[in-house]
Amino acid sequence: MKNALIATVLVLVCSLFVQPLSASPEDNVRLYQDYFKKRFPNIDFQEFANGVYAVNAQLRENWEAIEEFPPYEPFVERGESMWNTAFANGKSYADCFQNGPGSKHLYPQWSKEQGKVITLALAINQCREANGEKPLKYKKGPINDILAYMAYESRGQLTNVVIPADDPRALEAYKQGKEFYFTRRGQLNFSCSHCHFSSSGMNLRSDVLSPAVGQTTGWPVYRSKWGTVGTLHRRYTGCNKQVRAKPFPAQGEEYRNLEYFHTHMSNGVVLNGPSSRK
Amino acid sequence: MGVLLKYILISIVTTGMLLSTGLFADVSAAEDAEFATLLSEAKAAQKKANSVGGEWRDVGKFLKQAEQAAADGDFEKATKLAQKAKTQCELGYEQAVSQKGKAGHPSYLQ
Ligand code: HEC
Repeated sequence: MKNALIATVLVLVCSLFVQPLSASPEDNVRLYQDYFKKRFPNIDFQEFANGVYAVNAQLRENWEAIEEFPPYEPFVERGESMWNTAFANGKSYADCFQNGPGSKHLYPQWSKEQGKVITLALAINQCREANGEKPLKYKKGPINDILAYMAYESRGQLTNVVIPADDPRALEAYKQGKEFYFTRRGQLNFSCSHCHFSSSGMNLRSDVLSPAVGQTTGWPVYRSKWGTVGTLHRRYTGCNKQVRAKPFPAQGEEYRNLEYFHTHMSNGVVLNGPSSRK
Repeated sequence: MGVLLKYILISIVTTGMLLSTGLFADVSAAEDAEFATLLSEAKAAQKKANSVGGEWRDVGKFLKQAEQAAADGDFEKATKLAQKAKTQCELGYEQAVSQKGKAGHPSYLQ
């Protein structure tokens, strides 16, 4: 009896210390989403998909005007014709994506066979290469067309990143992404969370900072500053550079793991790509 | 002025000129070597910072500019830039290594 009591106390004491370290991805999602729900109590949860326009009324007004004539429309149209055009070997994207173009909600996904995170952009290039086509560049150019079309066809699905329990490497990739997210970087010594958690909704020079939850749902994005549609990894590049850190290669392991973690925190938020931003 | 004096003067001036060019050549050779050492140290520091994902944004640019300045003979500028690159790499390396395996939730998320 006494032993049992001691054992119970020991277990309790240990769990006090262990818990924060071994918090599961599901615990984390709750933690992050609750943080933003509390920070922005008057915002409907699904509104987070609209980034900064969910939290700033004035910017939202300009944005709604822009969305009346969506600047990404020609990209979606070009992407549709890419989807419908056969590769030189007679096959097409449809042979790689069994669920059709509306497959974005399945990515980023863990591939047990390849032992890595597969993003939609990577899957597109793997499809091309398997069929003898040249891979597309990952930040600018036609990859945004096919991504825009697939995002458009996936609208209304919910973010649902899965971290399969049967392969510990998947959880490891998630943890790598999480560590990346909370690591201070660059001459300014900022982590992503400095801007997109504790300063979300606040001004940074001429920008208002968007909350981290919901940041992954709208890609690819037409940005006025870019004058075109660009990928999520292009945005990661920009945010790394802002703090004067050297960016990492688009679709390299760092950004893919980051995307895995970063998208997972928006589980349950609606997909609404492509979208437009300042 | 006597012819002799003229010769003496001319020879003083020429020796001076010869000496000083030699001296300058020595100085610039020394600067060259010093800069080369600093540059290779800076590049090694860059590699090291990069190996832990800690390189800062402008290091590559500073190094390029340093090499250009050295090529133009402006060793003061070249040295300044290379030194800046090296220091930033050392700081970036420390920054990354000090957080490896530790970076996690800030206090407001605990
Ligand atoms: C110095 C502040 C700062 C840091 C640090 C920072 N960002 Fe940003 N980020 C911005 C600004 C400014 C914008 C543009 C306004 C907005 O949407 O927040 C932005 C936008 C974004 C967007 C686009 C959101 C949308 O709805 O279009 C994403 C995604 C993003 N950041 C991810 C990251 C990630 C991941 C990190 C860490 C690697 C990071 N940011 C670090 C300032 C920062």
